[in-house]
Amino acid sequence: MRISTNQLQQQGINSMLEQQGKLSKTQLQVATGRRILTPADDPAAASQVLGLTQQKEVIGQYQANADAARARLSLEESALVGVGDLLQRVRELAVQANNAPLSNSDRASIAQEIRQRLDELLSLSNTKDSNNEYLFAGYQGLTQAFTPNAAGSFDYSGDEGQRYLQIGSNRQVAVGDSGTSVFRAIRNGNGTFTTQENVANTGTGIINPGTVSGTFVPDTYTLAFIQVLPTDPITYTATGVTSGLVASGNYTSGSSISFNGVQASVTGTPANGDNFSVTPSANQDIFTTVQNFARGLETAIGTPASQAHFNNTMNRTLINLDRSLDNVIDIRARVGSRLNAVDAQKDFNDSFKLQLQETLSNLQDLDYAEAVSRLNLQITGLQAAQQSFVKIQGLSLFNFLR
Amino acid sequence: MAGDVLGIGISGLLAYQRALATVGHNITNVNTEGYSRQRVEMGTRPPAFSGNGYVGTGVNVESVRRVYDNFLASQVRNSTASFGQSDYFHTLSSRIDNLMADPQAGLTPALQSFFNGVQGVSNDPSSIAARQVLLSEASSLVERFKSLDTRFTEMNSSINIEISNIVADINSLAQGIASANQDIVLAAGSSAGNIPNDLLDKRDALIVEMSKRIAVTTVPQDDGSVNIFIGNGQAIVSGFRAQSLSTIQNQFDPTRLDVGYKMGNSAVNITDQLSGGKLGGVLDFRKNNLDEARKLLGRVALGLADTFNAQHNLGQDLNGQLGGDFFKVPALQVQPRVLNSGTGLIAASLVNPGAITTSDYRLTYNGANAYTLQRLSDSQTFAINTGGTSPYTTEEFDGFSMSITAGAAVNDSFLIRPTYTAAQNIGLTITDAKAIAAAAPMRTSAALTNAGAGVINSGVVNSPDNRVSLQFTSATTYDVVDETTGASLAKNLTYTSGSNIPFNGWTIQISGIVATGDKFYVDKTVTTADTANAGAGAISPAIVSPPDPNLRDTVTITFNNPPTTFNVAGATTGSPVATIPYVSGQPISFNGWTVKVTGTPAAGDVFRVGANTNGVSDNRNALLLAQLQTQRTLDNGTATYQDAYGQLVAKVGTQTRQAEMTRNAQEVLKNQAIESRDSLSGVNLDEEAADLVRLQQAYQAAAQVISVSDTLFQALLGAVRR
Repeated sequence: MRISTNQLQQQGINSMLEQQGKLSKTQLQVATGRRILTPADDPAAASQVLGLTQQKEVIGQYQANADAARARLSLEESALVGVGDLLQRVRELAVQANNAPLSNSDRASIAQEIRQRLDELLSLSNTKDSNNEYLFAGYQGLTQAFTPNAAGSFDYSGDEGQRYLQIGSNRQVAVGDSGTSVFRAIRNGNGTFTTQENVANTGTGIINPGTVSGTFVPDTYTLAFIQVLPTDPITYTATGVTSGLVASGNYTSGSSISFNGVQASVTGTPANGDNFSVTPSANQDIFTTVQNFARGLETAIGTPASQAHFNNTMNRTLINLDRSLDNVIDIRARVGSRLNAVDAQKDFNDSFKLQLQETLSNLQDLDYAEAVSRLNLQITGLQAAQQSFVKIQGLSLFNFLR
Repeated sequence: MAGDVLGIGISGLLAYQRALATVGHNITNVNTEGYSRQRVEMGTRPPAFSGNGYVGTGVNVESVRRVYDNFLASQVRNSTASFGQSDYFHTLSSRIDNLMADPQAGLTPALQSFFNGVQGVSNDPSSIAARQVLLSEASSLVERFKSLDTRFTEMNSSINIEISNIVADINSLAQGIASANQDIVLAAGSSAGNIPNDLLDKRDALIVEMSKRIAVTTVPQDDGSVNIFIGNGQAIVSGFRAQSLSTIQNQFDPTRLDVGYKMGNSAVNITDQLSGGKLGGVLDFRKNNLDEARKLLGRVALGLADTFNAQHNLGQDLNGQLGGDFFKVPALQVQPRVLNSGTGLIAASLVNPGAITTSDYRLTYNGANAYTLQRLSDSQTFAINTGGTSPYTTEEFDGFSMSITAGAAVNDSFLIRPTYTAAQNIGLTITDAKAIAAAAPMRTSAALTNAGAGVINSGVVNSPDNRVSLQFTSATTYDVVDETTGASLAKNLTYTSGSNIPFNGWTIQISGIVATGDKFYVDKTVTTADTANAGAGAISPAIVSPPDPNLRDTVTITFNNPPTTFNVAGATTGSPVATIPYVSGQPISFNGWTVKVTGTPAAGDVFRVGANTNGVSDNRNALLLAQLQTQRTLDNGTATYQDAYGQLVAKVGTQTRQAEMTRNAQEVLKNQAIESRDSLSGVNLDEEAADLVRLQQAYQAAAQVISVSDTLFQALLGAVRR
């Protein structure tokens, strides 16, 4: 084939330009470490990289959320530990006050400590988080959760809202509990029913909190004691408002009285006309429980009847304190399991992120071994093109026409 | 004189002088663009009769011919035009490609930071600092949309300049070719039909130059001139006359220039008929690459703004107000054709961002209340008849609806571009950090006195996008069911034709006579009547203003004795309100919210749903907003915001890659065509050197003939002298 001089030159130049283009791209890849320099290099992978990068970033955000959840849950846990310790101390005092024969002034000094503890409890229930939000106020974090009112009890201004944080693509974790669930929604008595003496009782009958045997039939029962003449045996009747008379018999101190699922016992000597009520459990907040304890201690004991009143109060206080403690421990366990869940999710997120990173790296990172060998090959190719160009350009018939 | 040795020698000298000059001409023009090598054609001079036969009289130069092949030349022109188009297309595509290349410069990081901001608010809903961060991330996101789009509009303006420049080049080349035609015809006329080779080469070079800018068809004429056509046969050069192209404004979009062809006093728009060359590349790029990229970006902006707003509207801000708009949702662009003569107006509004496509639509008035809507991506048409109503609201087409005001003249048309300017026009409505609606407007509670173990969940605000069905249980009563949550919204409502039916933040009317079993649907605020309806009832479009106006009213749910049913009480509730059967976990929906009660409530247990007053620590709506990031809300529920942006990147990448491959293939074809031409017409210096030697020797020999003739003459003279 006939070839024009220009063609020869152009071919040489074109092949060098092409080699240079390839070389410069490889060089840029090696310099940046990126396999995909522009989306055109691998459009599918480039778009995939964006998606994976987002996924990675989202997981990074979940990790940040998990840290925030951890911080808040830890704060809640420490507040709950405080409440638990406090209730434990109050319970010790209750046991002490119930068992030892104490003078009125001794009891007054215990009452004083209880009052201190009550203040402490109030401040624990109004714990704030790092953002100055009340931890136990539900959604109303800027409203003080518990405030003492004029009547001496404690108002709750929060609600039952519970905040959740997103710590995984399909995982939300609660990062708090409302004041209601921690401090207020606690069933009094034994959780099914509660026993209480009539304040007008004149005898020394002391009722225990009772236990459930069989199925408790919800009703308000009155356990009344009758002894018309001091020589008569003491008898009792148990009457429900809707159930009517459900039990009656001769009273023996300490023996159990059972009716409609209730099994309770009365000790001491109830006077004629003394009565006790058995009512379905209702919610009673921790403040009221502790407050009632303090009030019981503050009431002077002068007569066997007032001693019995005191003992009855202590019995109720003890069971209610136990129930409060149970509730706090229960919530703590829940917080603990959430913390565990947060940690587990964090581990999962980490490994998922690592996996994504690996996929991303496979997609966009350069295989250096391959790239460097390609670079060498291309350098050799360019050198060959240059050398052959120079040699061929040197060939001309004119060189010999001298 | 027979046997004129001197004359023969001189004819040889002259001929070889000419031939040597031509070789010299070839050698010196070795680098001239478009030069075809020339050859001297020699022939014998007419012989002289000398009695005993014809005697040769020497050599004669018959012509100087250029070595040229018309087919090869046209191949070069065609391949140059194709290469020009793909090369420039690739150059322009690479610009967008490079724009997308930097992972930090695209939308992805801005989108991520924005949603990180949302998560930040969700983690600390009462923190003003976290809210400020979200606001500033939101404004960066909006800025990112705008700046990316600005790059596209800048490219559009530079394309306008490019088109003007190319059109000017084409015009001046056309002038050049026309005058070359003239020169050639004149030269041929004045030299007894001899062809002026160098002028032909020059004209060929001009035509190749024009091919670089646009594809041309050449038709040679008998007189030596060439007529040149572009597009669908528009003559740009005919004989000595050059026709000029001009730039004209697009009839729908004044910001873009089209190419016009002068016919008489007016210019005809021939943009769509042009192909090849740089101009073809620019037009192709603008239509298929730049516009598409803009629209894909616009769709993300439009979808994000609308879906985010929709969720934000369902929340409650730090001041206890219902969530307002977060983003300014870009309006759907409607551009009337410049030539429209009527006064009709069209407005397009977004109905369902998930169904929005990146296509443009053209609405044309056919007269008699009839309009045709054409989707330009696949040319599918839809007939619309307003029936004389003005303004008339159309049904939903691909996620938008139109309001048509009468007054259009026949053939008036409008270009509707839902996504084209969306990325430019997205904005931030919210300015106050406290106005970010992180909370839900309602909250639930269980009474402390409850004896049972029933639990109420925190509830959700019903979205107006939920699919709701209205089913007629008789000709006068109907039930309403939220099919998305599965909750019964109302039962046994009394039907009054044309009265307002409000649920979930929208209001509709049903009018006409309905039959038992007839069904109507409100789905993503688009209303439809079941095709199987037996009655003649018609459903109106939904008027949407979420959430439900009674959302925050206090409602109590009280369990009856036995607790297998419950009653609902509140200032405003739907129906029914008494003895609703209780099923644990079944959604209960009133006033635009849905709650679930689970477990075993006791008789007399009370649950409340009411306003979330002071609910500053509530992050329920922020969580839902954050989840939008990973929800497939766009492209008919198949793409997240990021996916939709990924489609843009993939498209730009694919197009650029494809353009590169086409360009490379075209380059090979062009180079081959040039090689074929050059291998025939190009100058080879070695060949010329050999010719030089050959001709020099012939010249020397001819000179020797003269010398011999001299010797002969001297011999004769010597003989005479003696």
